[in-house]
Amino acid sequence: MSTQTTRPQAGHIEVRDLNISFKARGATVQAVKAVSLDVQAGEFVSLIGPSGCGKSTLMNAVAGFTQANSGVLTLDGKRIDGPGSDRGVVFQQYSLFPWMTVRKNVEFGLKMANMAPSQRETQARTLLGLAGLLAFENHYPAQLSGGMKQRVGIVRALATSPQVLLMDEPFGALDSQTRSVMQEILTNMWQRLRLSVLFITHDIEEAIFLSDRIYVMTARPGRIKAEIRVPLPRPRTPDMMDTPEFAGLVRSIKKLIREESLAAMGGELRDGGCGGLSMEIGPEGVAHVL
Amino acid sequence: MALTDRQSITPPPTGAPPHPVHARPVRQPRLEAIEGGAPAHVGRETPFSLKLWLESGIGGAVLGSVSIAAVLLAWYLATRYRLDFYVRFGNIPTPLDVWRSILEVNHSSKFMVNIGISLRRVLLGFSGAAIVGIALGIMVGRYRIFRSLAMPAMELFRPIPAIAWVPMAIMLWPSNEVSIAFITFIGAFFPILINTVQGVEDIDEVLLRAAHSLGAKEKDVILHVVIPGALQHIFTGLAVGMGVAWVSLIAAEMISGQFGIGYFTWEAYSLISYPDIALGMITIGVLGLLCSKAIHICSKLAMPWTGLAAGARK
Repeated sequence: MSTQTTRPQAGHIEVRDLNISFKARGATVQAVKAVSLDVQAGEFVSLIGPSGCGKSTLMNAVAGFTQANSGVLTLDGKRIDGPGSDRGVVFQQYSLFPWMTVRKNVEFGLKMANMAPSQRETQARTLLGLAGLLAFENHYPAQLSGGMKQRVGIVRALATSPQVLLMDEPFGALDSQTRSVMQEILTNMWQRLRLSVLFITHDIEEAIFLSDRIYVMTARPGRIKAEIRVPLPRPRTPDMMDTPEFAGLVRSIKKLIREESLAAMGGELRDGGCGGLSMEIGPEGVAHVL
Repeated sequence: MALTDRQSITPPPTGAPPHPVHARPVRQPRLEAIEGGAPAHVGRETPFSLKLWLESGIGGAVLGSVSIAAVLLAWYLATRYRLDFYVRFGNIPTPLDVWRSILEVNHSSKFMVNIGISLRRVLLGFSGAAIVGIALGIMVGRYRIFRSLAMPAMELFRPIPAIAWVPMAIMLWPSNEVSIAFITFIGAFFPILINTVQGVEDIDEVLLRAAHSLGAKEKDVILHVVIPGALQHIFTGLAVGMGVAWVSLIAAEMISGQFGIGYFTWEAYSLISYPDIALGMITIGVLGLLCSKAIHICSKLAMPWTGLAAGARK
């Protein structure tokens, strides 16, 4: 993946005055309101906020899956008008193709780029080897654990050497042990690759541990409530989570989020539906809210 | 990408993390059945396990033989003692009569010609239905405009049973052969179409998004996501379609046929050669069974990623 280090300038995401609304049961819902943010080339940025605040909608717009109503959305000055392999995406749900083996999944993006079969096989095996997944190259996704599926998902997104990695709560479905291991894997990987990452999460510790900067979003309609720089040194190690500095950051973000979560819950309770609540907030999310 | 050193920390795949609602449970294939019958943890004095015995193949064969033997025995007793209790077994041939006629037709090329002609008709009608049904189903499932254009007409024709097409088919097509193949086609077509559409519609949107973000164009999406994603439903459609194809074929042969196993069975009734009726029925059953087995084998070959989980079977 040496191509990444040779172009440190690439991978700048710029979002200006973005508005996204969609129709739900006849009513127009504004999901994202006047959001402006940046991810500098090689920067790790997290987007955190209460469930339903539009952070996934925002990421879908950056990925090119969703059209914005107004505003500017560019990658390295080029307008984003659809999905493309310059932006790797890792989804919350397992998104591996069930009919392809692990290696074929990783090869998919290379195949779409018309790389020769022998060449893409070599490249996929190299990447899987680096990720410690080579022994599973001929397994089907159904034969893997959740953590392994997400690791393959990350390797697949990286295979085409994108400038940007977009991650939508990628560890949300994992148990807490697997999750912390995955966070460590990700931060080490980022340390090597130095590509831009836009990371969506509702887990405060996760956001602090991984990020250079954190944007806190408001409850719907989603706006940027605060921007927090994480002054922790690199490379990050798990023992940093025990420092008073870390705890202080957690406390201040928790306070910001709590206000918004209460606002979001109040809104949802008034609407008579909190069905979405238990789906999106994991146990740790509930702990943050209460 | 220095992920190697971290691998040791990762829990083994059997660690079974909690799954979200949409995730399929991870299960290892049932290896104990393949590796000689007994799982390692049971030890030397393995207690009798019905599940393992059934999975080993011997148990399945024994139970299968028992069920077939029971049918033969009931048939033999009913015809031997000429049971008559509203259902009348008076004219029904005994298993032995049928066995004799099986031995007889082994030497008759006419019988084999009948089988050959029926198979040809089914394959013609069924493969036509498979090609048209799958292609149309993918277009209808994927593109709104095709759905709006094609489905109203399809819904109009769907409730008409294939057999009801017999008179119309005879008028429509130049030869008897083609009209019978057409009726078989009609029978197989709708289950294949409907299941293919369902399969395309059931594909998880996240897979389409993943494909697009990896640089896939529409052609790649159809080839690498839509078709494999719908394949399980397509094979369900093919299996159902094959069954209906045989039903339609036999009915068509009985009504309008010359030749064919359906015609043979009906002719046996007209000629009062009762054992041949049973022989025709058994032949139809065996041919239908072989055809559906063939589809099952094709589906296993085409979809090696399925069957990795045991499902609900105990």
